[in-house]
Formats: sequence, C-alpha cells, structure tokens
Amino acid sequence: MRDLFRAEWLKIAGNRWVAGCLVWIFPLGAVLFVIVAALILALSGSARDGFREDGPVLWTDQAVGVWNFPSNPVGRLVLLGFTAVVFAGEYQWQTWKSIVPRNRRAALIVVKFVALGAFVVVAFVLMSILWTLGWGMLSEIAGASYGPKLTGDVLAEFGEDYALQASLTFTATIIAAGYAALAGMVTRSILGGVLAGFVLTFVESGLIFGLMLVGWLLDIPRIVHVYRFTPGYNLLNVTSWINDNVPLNMEPSEEGVFAGIIFSDSLVFSLVVLAAWVLGLIALTSGLFQRQDITS
Amino acid sequence: MGDTVAIRIENLSKTFGRRAKRRVHAVKNISLEIQTGQVYGFLGPNGAGKTTTIRMLLDLIRPTTGDAYIYDRHVRREHDVLRRVGALVEGAAFYNFLTGRKNLEVLARTANDYDPIRIEMLLAQVGLAHRADQRVNGYSTGMKQRLGLAAALLGDPDLLILDEPTNGLDPGGMHEVREFVRNLADEHGKTVFLSSHLLGEIEQVCDRVAIINLGEIVREGAVQDLLEGKTHLRVEAAPLDKAAAILGEFWPVTTNTQWLTISAARDDAPHMVRRLVENGVDVFQITSQRQTLEEYFLSVVREGTGDA
Repeated sequence: MRDLFRAEWLKIAGNRWVAGCLVWIFPLGAVLFVIVAALILALSGSARDGFREDGPVLWTDQAVGVWNFPSNPVGRLVLLGFTAVVFAGEYQWQTWKSIVPRNRRAALIVVKFVALGAFVVVAFVLMSILWTLGWGMLSEIAGASYGPKLTGDVLAEFGEDYALQASLTFTATIIAAGYAALAGMVTRSILGGVLAGFVLTFVESGLIFGLMLVGWLLDIPRIVHVYRFTPGYNLLNVTSWINDNVPLNMEPSEEGVFAGIIFSDSLVFSLVVLAAWVLGLIALTSGLFQRQDITS
Repeated sequence: MGDTVAIRIENLSKTFGRRAKRRVHAVKNISLEIQTGQVYGFLGPNGAGKTTTIRMLLDLIRPTTGDAYIYDRHVRREHDVLRRVGALVEGAAFYNFLTGRKNLEVLARTANDYDPIRIEMLLAQVGLAHRADQRVNGYSTGMKQRLGLAAALLGDPDLLILDEPTNGLDPGGMHEVREFVRNLADEHGKTVFLSSHLLGEIEQVCDRVAIINLGEIVREGAVQDLLEGKTHLRVEAAPLDKAAAILGEFWPVTTNTQWLTISAARDDAPHMVRRLVENGVDVFQITSQRQTLEEYFLSVVREGTGDA
C-alpha cells in the first residue's frame, strides 16, 4: 500500500500545473498576501496605527483560522477541481488501462482519496506555518503584540484546537472530494466532475429549503429532520461543539408548521454521521468503479 | 510454475448498450486456449472484437457472459493473477506531465513492484535511456510505443499481451520488436498474445493464430497447418482475358493486368496448359505459390462477410 500511495503522490505532485493552480495556490497566496501587507505597513504609518488599533493578534487564531479556507465557496470549488483532475484525469489521459491490471480497483480508489487528502493537509499545514510566521512579521513591523506566549498550557490547548479544526477541514474536503470523484467517474470528464461536484455541494447546502418546501406542501413537517443527516449540518454541529461545547441548536423556522422543531444533536451523533458519509462516499465511488468498463 | 495453459477463454461474450436498437455484440461466445511458451497471433479486421477480448482478459471490461482464465486463475475473481501479465493495449498512454522514467516508476509502484535497476535496464533495452528524463509530452508516437513495451515488461511478466505493439514504429523498430517478441518466447519461455493488423508480422513471429471476425473466432490453428495445402498458381499467358474465361470455368480466378491467380493445386497445372493451348492461348509461365497469411486472412474474412 505504501508503494501505491507513493505512485499516487508522484502523479499528483508531478502534475505541477494542476497542483500549483489548485493546491499550492493556497500557501503561495498566503505568502503573497503577507508580502503585500508588509510593504503597505512598512510604507504607511497610518496602516501601522490601524493594525495596532485592531487589537492584539493571536498566532493561535491565525494558525487555526487558515483551516477555514477550504470551507468557503471559492476554496471548495478549487478543491473540487483538484479532485476532479485526480479522479477523472485518468479517463482523459486513458491511463486507467495501464494501472487497473496492476492492482485491485478498490485499492486504487481508496489510495486516491488518501493521497488527495494528505496532499491537501500538507498544503494547509504549510500554509498555516507561513501564515502564522507572516502575521508575526506583520505584527513586528506594525509594533503590535503577537501573543500568546509559548507555555505548556497554551501549546496543549492550541494542539487540540489545531488537530480538531484540521480534522474537520480534512473531513469536509474528503466529502467534497467524494462528490467530485463520483461525478468525475460517472461523467468520465474533469469538467463534468467539477460542475456536477459543485452542483451536489450546492444542492446539499440548500437542501434544508427544499425539505421545508416539501414538508409544507405535503404537510409533513418532520421531513426536515432529514437535514440532520447531511454533512453540512453535522460539520457545523461539530464546529459548535469544538468552539463552544454546545450543540448547534438549529431551528429551521420559528413560525408555521416548523415551529418547535429544533435540531440539537450530540457530538457523537455528528461524528458518526460524518464518518458514515466519508466511508459511504468512498465505498460508493469504489463500487461504481468496480463495475465500470474501461473502454478507452 | 508448472502451468501449461497461459490463457483459457470460455464462451466469452460482450454486449455493449442496454437498448435493443443500440446494442452491439462486440464479442460472441468465443473460446480459446493458449499454451505457455507460444507466440499467439490474434487477427481480425477493425471492429472485429480483438481489443474488447484483450480488455476482458485484463479485467478492464466485464464480460456479459463467459469466463477468462490466466494460468488457470479466474481473471475477475482472482485479479492478482494479472501481476504475471504485462500488457500494451491500443497504443501506449502515459502521464504526459511526467518523464519516461517517472511514468515507469508510477506503474511499477502501482503494482507494488518498484525496482529502479530493472527500470534502467528496460529503458536501455527499448532505446530510451538518453530520453528517460524528458517529459513524455515531447515523445514521438514511436517513443511512446517503446516506453509502452518497457512498461509491459516491468514486472518481468510470464505472459505478455500486446495489442498492435509496432504501431508508430519505423521499419527498423518493427523488426526489432519482432525479434524481441520471438526471443522472449524462445530464450525466456514467455508466452506472448499478439494482436496486429500487420499480417506479415504475425506470420513471421507467431506459432499459432486465431482469426476473429464480427466477434466470432472463425479460424484457429498453427500457422503452418492453416497455410498447408493453400497454394495457388500464377499463370502468365496471352491474351489474358481469354485465358481467364477458359480457366474460370473450372477454377476460381483472380485477374491482374499481367497474370492470373488461380486457386488450384500444383497438379492442376498440366490440365490448365492443355486447355489454354487447345484454345489458342499462348502460355509463358505457370508458377506454384504458397498462400500467405494475408491472403488466407482475407479469404477467411471475405467468407464471413459474404464477399467471397
């Protein structure tokens, strides 16, 4: 399996144009931002004053905050594109015919998810290091404090937060990747993978409104509970548990037929649902590939 | 090893398309058995079902019915048997953004069988050592085909399945591949399943052949056996039209601007001469010629399509 992972890594990293534009762009963007901000701060006294007035900057927040990038729509679209290339590229380059006889199909698919996830994690760890150091430099230029001080307690708390946030982002990335992988494999096209993956992601985020409409039309308000099983809701619920140690307590609507319905789920519930989604999407992609004819 | 049968295909069929109107029966109930150590030719016109059969052998396509075995192990149920197989299917396809060497590394690692020394040796063997660190993007078709052959040989396979291996190669390269393939069987005991349009190539290299047409195996046997007794006579006479009319009453005649080709045995030559002379035709030369595999193939394919 290690060799197989290395093969996948070589393919991903070797496709420099794609990896550069769709993954390395995040740490490179961070560096670029810091350089531009440093120039502005160095040249403008009012900018330095403004920086200091905005309050103390915490390196712990900067390092953890980076992991929110893949969750925003642009970040998600970029990563969907990357996933689509990793999965549908093999059809476009007609390379499945060379690799399928060399290993089991299920292993080929699972390793793609693992390598892709690892690649994204490496890129974001690098980005968070550069971003955190960069903000330290900006604080230094502006003459602002950059805390908290490194102590055992601070490091332990930071380590826990960082690991949880990184795991959450990794999970969200794998789920989005699952959509793009499925779409890419059905359409056998990179563009098809990106578009269909984005549509699936969009449909998932708007599902609550669709369920409310159906619930209202058919007078079955309980149907909105289906939303509790979507990745989007459970990612938010886990975030709420991590940040505030309470459930999300989401109310679809305070009025009408949905009044009184509140989604309030435990951390374990959300973790189980997310795990089921991750495993389910990988199994579905693998199952689909297992039955697929490689005809070109 | 102790295996005597390298490939066994039992009643293999493949139908594409679900709707009746779009349904295509690419391969129809074919069966084959290929002994180890042979170079086996697989012939057929375009669309005959050669590549579909090869893809089923490599577990790239699921058969609609039937089974394929390699070294007595079911290809689909015991996928690992394909580790004993090296293949080049329908032209080499690579990651164009990687170098030739990296491509081979990716393929070797995919099979959990990475050996840099073997890669180096194979690159030298196919004449690509000096271009190994250039991206495949800049390779010619012939170079890609050579790299494809190197990729097929990566795991030192017992069985090679080569689909049109000389495509894109210059005459010198084609000759090298022919010698290389023959050598694999003769010197190293490998089995080679070779599909090609170049019938001269097959005739020179293969021990046995199967001819597939419209998805069905129409002939199968040792090359020598298939061509045994398949002679024809070449008649040079004047006037040629008159000669063709006279002989055409008794034997199948193919006309040419300079001679006639008669599907007949050598013993028929005296009768032909007598009839032609009696009818005032001058006979300059009659020669007996062995049918080539190409001629045999064309006659078999024409039979199948009703063109005979």
